[in-house]
Amino acid sequence: MSEAETVTIESVEEFLVHAMELEEASYEHYEELADTMEVHNNLEVAELFRKLANYSRLHAEEVHQRAANLALPTITPWDFKWKCPSAPEAFCMDDADYLMSSTKAMEIALFNEIRGRDFYQQVADNSSSEAVKKLALEMVEEENWHVEMLREWQASMQEEQPQEDLDPPNMPE
Amino acid sequence: MTVPALKAKDYKSGIKAVWCPGCGHFAVLSALTKAMAHLGLVKEEVAVVSGIGCSSRLPAYIDTYGFHGIHGRALAAASGLKAARPDLTVIVAGGDGDGFSIGGNHFLHACRRNMNMAYIVMDNEVYGMTKGQASPTTLPDWSNSKMTPHGTGIPSFNPAAIALAAGAGFIARGFSGEPSELTRILVEAIEHSGFAFVQVLSGCVTYRPDQKLWKEEVHPSESDLPTDDPVKAAQIIQAGDGKATGVIYAKQFPVWQPENRMDSNLNTIEKEFLL
Repeated sequence: MSEAETVTIESVEEFLVHAMELEEASYEHYEELADTMEVHNNLEVAELFRKLANYSRLHAEEVHQRAANLALPTITPWDFKWKCPSAPEAFCMDDADYLMSSTKAMEIALFNEIRGRDFYQQVADNSSSEAVKKLALEMVEEENWHVEMLREWQASMQEEQPQEDLDPPNMPE
Repeated sequence: MTVPALKAKDYKSGIKAVWCPGCGHFAVLSALTKAMAHLGLVKEEVAVVSGIGCSSRLPAYIDTYGFHGIHGRALAAASGLKAARPDLTVIVAGGDGDGFSIGGNHFLHACRRNMNMAYIVMDNEVYGMTKGQASPTTLPDWSNSKMTPHGTGIPSFNPAAIALAAGAGFIARGFSGEPSELTRILVEAIEHSGFAFVQVLSGCVTYRPDQKLWKEEVHPSESDLPTDDPVKAAQIIQAGDGKATGVIYAKQFPVWQPENRMDSNLNTIEKEFLL
C-alpha cells in the first residue's frame, strides 16, 4: 500500500482483525528481540524487550476479548491496510544490534508505538462508521498512554557508554 | 470434529533463533509461516530442507518435518525426498553461498529437472556464519573483508538470470524488509507446480551493515509481470538493478517425478547397484 493511499476501514470486525494482528505482531517482535538479546548476553536490553512484549501481549488479549462474540473476517497477510510493509509496531527490526543500549532499544520501541498510534488515528480519521471511529479513538488513547509512558521511561534512563565487543566482526582496520 | 485452522505462530517450533538481532532472516521465517498458515498446510505433510549457513538454520525453527543437510546439498537432499515422497510439500531454504557456490551445480540441475518444490535463497551477499567472506553474489568492489581487501574483482552471480537460463519455471525476488509482499510471493511459489525459485534480499546486519540502504533501494517491479515469455523475462532481469521485487517469470513445464516404486525392497535395490 503506498503512502498516498488512505486507510479506510468500515466495520468493527475488520478493525478488530487489524488491531489483533498489530498487537500480536508487536508481541512476537519484542519477544524475538528479547530472545536474541539473551542469546547475545545483552541481558539488560533483553529484559526491557521482555517487558514491552508483556505490554503488547496484554493489549492483544484485550482486543481478543472485545472480539469474543463476533464473526471476524479472514484477511490475507498482504491485504492488511497499513501504510508500511508489515504490522506498524513490528517494523524496524534492522535497527536492532546485539550491542545496543537500553536507550537505543527504547528509541525502537517508541518508533513502533508511534506508528501503531498513527495507524489507529488514520482509521479514526477516515472511517465513516461511528462505531469504528469510537473504537479506533479508544485505541489511540491507549497507544498515547503507552507513548507517554515510554517517553517518561526514556527520560529516566542515563546515557550509556557503547559496549565493548569482545568478539568483533572480522572487518578490516 | 472440526480442526481449528492453524495460525502462523503454530508453524514455529519454539526453538529460539540464534540469528543476530536485526537479521533479515527473521522476516523470512515470519513470512514463510504466514504463507503456510494461509495455504492451510498440514504440518505433517511438509518438509523444510536446508544446507549450511545462517539461513540454513531455518528448518529448526519451523514445526514441520525438517532436514538440516550438508553444505550446498540442500537441493540434492530435497530432490531425493521429493522422489521418494511426492505427497510432501517440499520447501528448500538456504543462503547465497550455500546455493550458488558449493551448491551451484545442484541449483542448475534442480532448475531444469523441475521437480515440484520451492527453493528460497536468503541472499545477503556474504558468508555470515564464517565471519564475512565474499560470496558469489557479492559485488566485485566490496572490500570490507580481510580475505578480499580490494574486492573480489569478479562479476557477481545473477541468480534470476541463471535460474531462467537453466530452465526454472518460476522466478521471483522478494525482500525481507517487505514481509507482507514476501508472504504473497512465497504463497505463489509453494502453489506453483514445478520448481519455484525465490531470491530473497535478506540483509546481514553484522557483516553487511551497508545493506540497511536496501530499504531505500528495493522497489516493486515496474513491468507488467509475471511474464511467461522467457525472452521478455531475460530482458527484464538483465536490464534490472537486481532490486526489483515480485514474481518475474511463471510458466508451466512438465514436472519431473520418478515413478514411485513401492514394490522395491532392499534386495532388489542392492541388485540394481551391482555392476
